[in-house]
Amino acid sequence: MMDAAAIPWWIWPIALFFVSFAIGIVAVLAGVGGGVLFVPIVGSLFPFHVDFVRGAGLLFALAGTLSAGPPLLRGGMASLRLVMPLALVGSVASFAGALVGLALASEVVNTALGLLIVGIALLIWRSRAVDAQNVDADQLGALLRLQGEFHDPAAGVRIDWRTHRTVLGLASFAAIGFIGGIFGLGAGFANVPALNLLMSAPLKVAVGSSGLLISVINSSAAWVYIHRGALLPLIVVPSILGVMLGSRIGARLLRSTPAAVVRQLVIIVMLVAGLRAVARGTGLWI
Amino acid sequence: MDLTKNERELRELYARWLDRATKLGFAVSLAAFLLYVSGLVPAFVPPADLPRYWGLSVDRFIAATGAPRGWGWLGLLRYSDVLNLAAVALLALVTPACYARLLPQLFAQRDWLQLALACAQVLVLLVAASGVLAGGG
Repeated sequence: MMDAAAIPWWIWPIALFFVSFAIGIVAVLAGVGGGVLFVPIVGSLFPFHVDFVRGAGLLFALAGTLSAGPPLLRGGMASLRLVMPLALVGSVASFAGALVGLALASEVVNTALGLLIVGIALLIWRSRAVDAQNVDADQLGALLRLQGEFHDPAAGVRIDWRTHRTVLGLASFAAIGFIGGIFGLGAGFANVPALNLLMSAPLKVAVGSSGLLISVINSSAAWVYIHRGALLPLIVVPSILGVMLGSRIGARLLRSTPAAVVRQLVIIVMLVAGLRAVARGTGLWI
Repeated sequence: MDLTKNERELRELYARWLDRATKLGFAVSLAAFLLYVSGLVPAFVPPADLPRYWGLSVDRFIAATGAPRGWGWLGLLRYSDVLNLAAVALLALVTPACYARLLPQLFAQRDWLQLALACAQVLVLLVAASGVLAGGG
């Protein structure tokens, strides 16, 4: 491998910008959070310590989802009513996860991160989304009014939806927030199945609300990294700018790119990056 | 209570504030970054020196460079890299600002449960931002 120390410093932010740009495109096309690709790829291929990569990963996901929030809300694909209780639980858990993550040794984090990423790749490979189902709201869901309406222009239909299994949903978002906080991931990979498969939100509402959830949850964990001094502007800012631009182009390409091809590409990239992180954490390949 | 109308008002209000605050945060981030990499404003840790430190864990990085923790960076805003940190902190404040803007609207709609959830969320984000629990105080 090329000696990183011999490379001029300014090459790295430029490379980060282009990597983040590419991840921004692929993440939108594949419907995964950018952090799940950013952290293992940058952690494996760049010379930065995993503490700084995780901090940048959180900000990466935060920036992308903040940017996407307004159109998602206006299009009815993100529901504030659905997001508010789940984000509250998730942000407390994510804050705790970030504290735990920064207290762990980098070898442990790299190994656990690699195993998690490989597990997520397998989850994406195995999981199938379900269309909106008519479910009866449970008592807590009815109290929180976890329901709404969504006009799907692609299908030309208006969907009146409500969710169920609210307690399980809250518990899931506590677990997802905690893991996301530890590893600096947006955790969109887990939000969407939890909202869609577990709570029965329509897929597009699940995807849109997941973005808004990440923007709230990561705002909490980001402060842990800020206060611990784990954000390096030279890493964070090019990543943010790259993902913003890439996400916009990805959104434009979404209509014409075969989803199955992108999905397979994401799974392969995640498997390679995850195994690389395991190898690095266990000392098999530094 | 007209749920649909209230829902739309809240959604539009949140989207409007989110849009403005995010654009402002990004513009400030970009401007601060250009100041940093161009060298127009001195940096606490110059970019050319960073390769010596960025492979260290955060604790060792701080020990080696004397970089600030907690709110210590507020006193170092004359440095361009610390200005970048402030710009990033602005992004982390976008969500609490948007939630805070919802509070009077929820109060006017007499939606007490949502109001309680929004208040709790603002509180959680403010506690996180304060650095009290993160040991950053």
